[in-house]
Amino acid sequence: MTIAILLVIAAALALAFILGITVARSLQISSGSGLAGQIQPLDIEAFRNLVDPREDEYLRRRLTAAEFRLVRRERLRAMASYVQVAGRNAAVLVRMGQAAMTGDSQTTEAARRLVDSALMLRRNAAFALLRIYIALAWPNSGLAALPVLQGYERLNGAAMLLGRLQNPAAPVRISAQL
Amino acid sequence: MLQAHSFLWNYFWVAPNLFLLVLAILIWKRDLRRQFPIFLAFTILSAAGQLALFSADVSPSVTPENFWRIDWATLLIESFFKFLVIGEIFSRVLKPYPSISRLGRILVSGLGGALVLAAVLAAAYSRGDGAFQVISGAHLLDQATFMIEVGVVVFLFLFVAYFRLTWDRPSYGVLLGLGISACVHLATWAVMTNAAPTAHQRVLLDLLNMATYHACVLVWFYYLLVPGKVVAKSPVPLLENTLDVWNRELERLVHP
Repeated sequence: MTIAILLVIAAALALAFILGITVARSLQISSGSGLAGQIQPLDIEAFRNLVDPREDEYLRRRLTAAEFRLVRRERLRAMASYVQVAGRNAAVLVRMGQAAMTGDSQTTEAARRLVDSALMLRRNAAFALLRIYIALAWPNSGLAALPVLQGYERLNGAAMLLGRLQNPAAPVRISAQL
Repeated sequence: MLQAHSFLWNYFWVAPNLFLLVLAILIWKRDLRRQFPIFLAFTILSAAGQLALFSADVSPSVTPENFWRIDWATLLIESFFKFLVIGEIFSRVLKPYPSISRLGRILVSGLGGALVLAAVLAAAYSRGDGAFQVISGAHLLDQATFMIEVGVVVFLFLFVAYFRLTWDRPSYGVLLGLGISACVHLATWAVMTNAAPTAHQRVLLDLLNMATYHACVLVWFYYLLVPGKVVAKSPVPLLENTLDVWNRELERLVHP
């Protein structure tokens, strides 16, 4: 009887989830726009500082073990917020890239690269979050979010290329300086 | 009305399978067979199997033992093809995204293994629902396959939702139908196998299963044959201020 109850509850939850996805999908199809506004800016310099192992090493040397664990947990929580924002931005960019795949071949190729980079980043963000939460329990373990930072840098490049192709009038100063 | 072998019962058993055969013909005619060859095979084999089972049920010359043998054979073939259909949809959805297709395959293989183990454990702890091994075994097999099916389908929906991948309409419809049918069937088989319902309750659960399957066949009709709303897929421009933010960040990276 217990198995019956468990399986019926699991089946009901699964059905609710599947139907919920269907409703969300139809709403998404009818809304469509407003994606670009969902992107949240991320302070990469601060993010880089948080994931820098030398910073951690410095803090480890300067603080007592108890203080270090406290500070480390705070840094890990901040890092988790950054990774979540990066992951959410990647999700928005996946949809923007998919929408841009209808243009000319150069734009389509740029959009495809953007989607690829964004998917990789979203994947890395999920793994990084998992490792950050594990590190919250064991603050002395190694760091996890570096691939997310590197992925975010690649994603920035891909998004800027697509932005330039879609919107050539926008000033993209960096290209002039490189 | 809500009795075994009533008109409603017979209708729910036969009609969805006739609809499935019509769907197979339309899939063939509309050239969807190249895109969904395994689903096409599933519709034909499943419908043929269920119609054979219905014929065995109403034919006085078929012994109960032979009826359950046909039931076992139909169940095994249907289950096998359902998993192949899920694999076909999974490949179609992930094909345009090589960066995560390997991850998807690894995860679904791991999850599949875990679900098989869970289904075997659930079957081992189930009480069974009859004195006859052949009937009880068929019901346990139903419970096990629907457990695995629900798990894999939910995973696929989760995976696509997490990565914000786009569904093509027919793939979505096929998986939606399989998912709804699997959830309802899992619940009913779990009750039938473990909760010792009365004969009348069994008939009601059977009717619920058959009605759900009928609805799912109609879902497949809708998603495979009715064209979707045409949404102008206009590229979402990257806003200038967004580009400015990225410019700033990139400049700081290059020229710290």
